[in-house]
Amino acid sequence: MRLGDTGKFAAQSLIRARGRTLLMLLAMSIGVSAVVILTGLGEGARRFVTGEFASLGTNLVIVIPGRSETTGGAAALMAGETPRDLTVDDYLALSRNPLVSLAAPVMVGAAGAARGRLEREISVVGTTSEFLKIRHLSMDRGKFLPGGDPSRAVNVCVIGEKIKQELFGKEQALGEWLRLGDRRFRVIGVLATGGRSIGVDIQELVVIPVASAQALFNSPGLFRILVEARSRDVMPRLQDQIRRTIAERHQGEEDVTVVTQDAVLATFDNILRALTFTVGGIGAISLAVAGILIMNIMLVAVSQRTREIGLLKAVGATRGQVTMLFLSEAVLLASLGGLLGLLLGYLGTTAIHGVYPDMDSQAPLWAVLAAIGVSSLTGLVFGIVPARRAAALEPVEALNG
Amino acid sequence: MRSRDFVGFSLSSVMAHRTRSILTTMGIAVGIAAVVLLTSIGEGVNRFVLAEFTQFGTNIVAINPGKATTFGAPTGVFNTVRPLSLEDSDALNRIPYVTSVVPVVQGNAEVEGSGRQRRTMVYGVGSQFPEAFKFLVAAGDFLPDDDPRAPRAYAVLGSKLKSELFGDANALGERIRVGGDRYRVVGYMQSKGQVLGFDLDDTVYIPAARALDLFGREGLMEIDVLYAEGAPADEVVAGVNRVLVSRHGGEDFTVTTQQQMLDVLGSVLGVLTFAVGALGGISLLVGGVGILTIMIIAVRERTSEIGLLRALGATRQQILRVFLGEAVILSSLGGLMGLVLGIGGAWLLHLAIPAMPVHTPVSYILMAEAMAVVIGLAAGVTPARRAAAMEPLEALRAE
Amino acid sequence: MITLEGINRIFQVGDQQVHALDDISLTIQPGEYLSLMGPSGSGKSTLLNILGLLDKPTSGRYLLEGREVTSLSDDEQASVRGEKIGFVFQFFHLVPRMSAFENVELPLVLAGMAPSVRRERVHVILEQLGLMDRAHHRPDQLSGGQRQRIAIARATIMKPSLLLADEPTGNLDSRSGTDVVEVLEQLNAGGITLVVVTHDGQVGKRAGRRLRMVDGAIVKDERG
Ligand SMILES: Nc1ncnc2c1ncn2[C@@H]1O[C@H](COP(=O)(O)OP(=O)(O)OP(=O)(O)O)[C@@H](O)[C@H]1O
Ligand SMILES: [Mg+2]
Repeated sequence: MRLGDTGKFAAQSLIRARGRTLLMLLAMSIGVSAVVILTGLGEGARRFVTGEFASLGTNLVIVIPGRSETTGGAAALMAGETPRDLTVDDYLALSRNPLVSLAAPVMVGAAGAARGRLEREISVVGTTSEFLKIRHLSMDRGKFLPGGDPSRAVNVCVIGEKIKQELFGKEQALGEWLRLGDRRFRVIGVLATGGRSIGVDIQELVVIPVASAQALFNSPGLFRILVEARSRDVMPRLQDQIRRTIAERHQGEEDVTVVTQDAVLATFDNILRALTFTVGGIGAISLAVAGILIMNIMLVAVSQRTREIGLLKAVGATRGQVTMLFLSEAVLLASLGGLLGLLLGYLGTTAIHGVYPDMDSQAPLWAVLAAIGVSSLTGLVFGIVPARRAAALEPVEALNG
Repeated sequence: MRSRDFVGFSLSSVMAHRTRSILTTMGIAVGIAAVVLLTSIGEGVNRFVLAEFTQFGTNIVAINPGKATTFGAPTGVFNTVRPLSLEDSDALNRIPYVTSVVPVVQGNAEVEGSGRQRRTMVYGVGSQFPEAFKFLVAAGDFLPDDDPRAPRAYAVLGSKLKSELFGDANALGERIRVGGDRYRVVGYMQSKGQVLGFDLDDTVYIPAARALDLFGREGLMEIDVLYAEGAPADEVVAGVNRVLVSRHGGEDFTVTTQQQMLDVLGSVLGVLTFAVGALGGISLLVGGVGILTIMIIAVRERTSEIGLLRALGATRQQILRVFLGEAVILSSLGGLMGLVLGIGGAWLLHLAIPAMPVHTPVSYILMAEAMAVVIGLAAGVTPARRAAAMEPLEALRAE
Repeated sequence: MITLEGINRIFQVGDQQVHALDDISLTIQPGEYLSLMGPSGSGKSTLLNILGLLDKPTSGRYLLEGREVTSLSDDEQASVRGEKIGFVFQFFHLVPRMSAFENVELPLVLAGMAPSVRRERVHVILEQLGLMDRAHHRPDQLSGGQRQRIAIARATIMKPSLLLADEPTGNLDSRSGTDVVEVLEQLNAGGITLVVVTHDGQVGKRAGRRLRMVDGAIVKDERG
């Protein structure tokens, strides 16, 4: 029997039992689209996060005060206070390193911001002019912090769009005064909207010179020093040099944690990949269920079509041919369901993308291939039992059945 | 028709097509097993995390400087223009129901003792720390109840730090350096293990005032207030607010009760459990389609039987119930099988990975089974109605 | 007593009308034994189905024991079928997965009778028909004649007043056919009203009242 004829025969019997064929396609496509959508979501989340990190520059090295010997990465980020602060002088020393293209000190804190009678608690970042470039921010209006000696406190500030809206409304903010704690700062710029950066909403930030922040919070200690390496290649070397520089400056004590953006990125990447894989796997369970269903229906079809099988055998069909007929019916069913599921899945991910434009939720290629492969394979595996049962029928019995 | 006979009748047709019924049942079973297993893991993690938190007791109120939270973290870690002072901490002791007040400053420093060095967590706390957080002292005493502003330079070691520095030797009375300052070890703690990734044994406890000096900080990171078991949390919170507002002239701090935290945590984890359960539910949906398909086939195949039953005096309602019953039997048997698979799977998982917390509450088991029944009903309704709607004569004629 | 008055049954097939029953009027006394013969397509089965409340006349009145039954609701008709009417079909219509016993028991189950009462009654009737030793066999393990006797047992277990048989011997050899007819006649002797549709002249002759149908009308009605 020609392959084309086998296919035609299988297609005919599927079309004849239209209702159940549709239901089986539905079942299979639910499974496949579940895999496609779930992995799409996972992949979207991964791309979103890695994209956010990448936008911060992958050559970034982060210097965190404090170092713990037992606790891992998560704890290092929350190391808390240290006896010897990371200072602006440390920052200056690091920025003199020839491997460094840019560096910015970061101090963070909370303070009440007031303008007239309007007041709210806000997050304050104390830094230098380099911060703008390192964090890939841009200005909406006005200018960012001026350059110059970072140890000089200048009472100017740059505010996020949301702060501007809340405290100034439609009024002009540039040139106005804003009170932070017990000090007054002149607004010299408004940050452009456009993006959150890993947990911090840029729009709800007030940025002031680092020396002003030290005075405001009455503390010399920095929260972080951000360092951008000249190129990726020099990063390991730079990390070593940073540790050495700090140790020299801290009486030989290496009391900072130096992490690369890449390391953090890789951690997130791994976690989200594993997550994608897991949800995809959970979705794939439904593929197995759909496979069971196909096997079930094919068995029913074999028993209902006993006479037909008998007739086929009587006119000279071999066991192999009968097996092929039923097997190709199952595989056809499964792969059609798979394709349908793929279509549904793409519709689903497209819809999600429409609602959340930030989420580029494309199912990864491996998931798509796996879903299609698994669904066809399911048809094959679960089609074998019914097909063999059909082939094993004795022609005489089959004709009488 | 008696209900037992309904079941018997439906069961007889389920049994008549054994292979078909088993496969249909398996579809539901896989789905239910997935849901049960996944929610068991979710619930296990949920309980594990809550237990980690409640081991410190639930009648704790935490006060952090600054209003609300910044950067999603407790504000105490960051700078603030309105510090909480040791005097604040003292004042809170006088609120009704309050049994202990613990000022907290946390940081990281190098500790030196018996010729060895180690960088660890440093906790600047008050003398009431062990009772507030249910930590037990293994040897010696905890920090004494000194004048909070001028405490003696005593330190208490966490069990891991103690063994790292002193091994099995006696550490009591030994001198150590914390960030360069000299302290005398007055006690060490029993092991507390890791809590959410933080090693609570690799620590040193010193008086809060000395920690403030050490880290050059103006204010405390947190004040933890422990109140009497059964006391009204609202009143304690109100008391804290009253005292601090009168001292600071405004509400420049954040009060969080342990219960609030647990509630938030619980609801987040609950949503998570639900979400993974729902993911497993996709398979259940496919299983439901399976029942639907098989029931449609069954109705088609048994058309003449339906005609006969109608000729024998069966009402449409009876026909409907017979087929619905069949669908429900298939799905609830599948549900039972799924429960066995799911609970068994959870148990095996726990055996294989003891660190993996799993827990299957009875309510989940009942809910999963109820879900299976509902799926059977939903999937059976269309075929059963189709069966009931058949005209007896036409049904009898069908081949 | 059964009274049919001006019964018409018209089937609509596409845009064509088939007049299967043409103004039939008929009275059947309780305990009568009727045979219904006629060429294929003459409307015998249609008439039987209307008598059995499996089909509704297009027009006309049907009084069963003095009660107008054509206008009853679906459920009421079902209960009349269950209590007053028994059917015997050419192709037996036994439920294949059920034993002989269970098949006979079926009407009692549908009526909601208690299991102990049911067992009693099924045993009695199987005893009468000499089928006790076949009680737990499935239909495919029985001969045609045995199957039809099981079907008769099922049709009469509710003690109906009217027994309708559509070609009950049509699928049987003459020997088991005669067996089956004898069983039906025994039941008739016990007081049940019996209507048998048949193509077999030998079988038809045995009835006390013989009707002949052609083209949807009764053309001959002989007694004695
Ligand atoms: N459901 C139906 N739809 C359309 N026409 C029908 C239907 N049932 C019966 N008929 C028609 O009504 C007429 C009478 O049919 P009926 O089955 O009563 O004949 P019958 O006398 O029992 O024939 P036979 O001896 O072959 O069983 C026939 O012409 C038949 O084609
Ligand atoms: Mg007929």
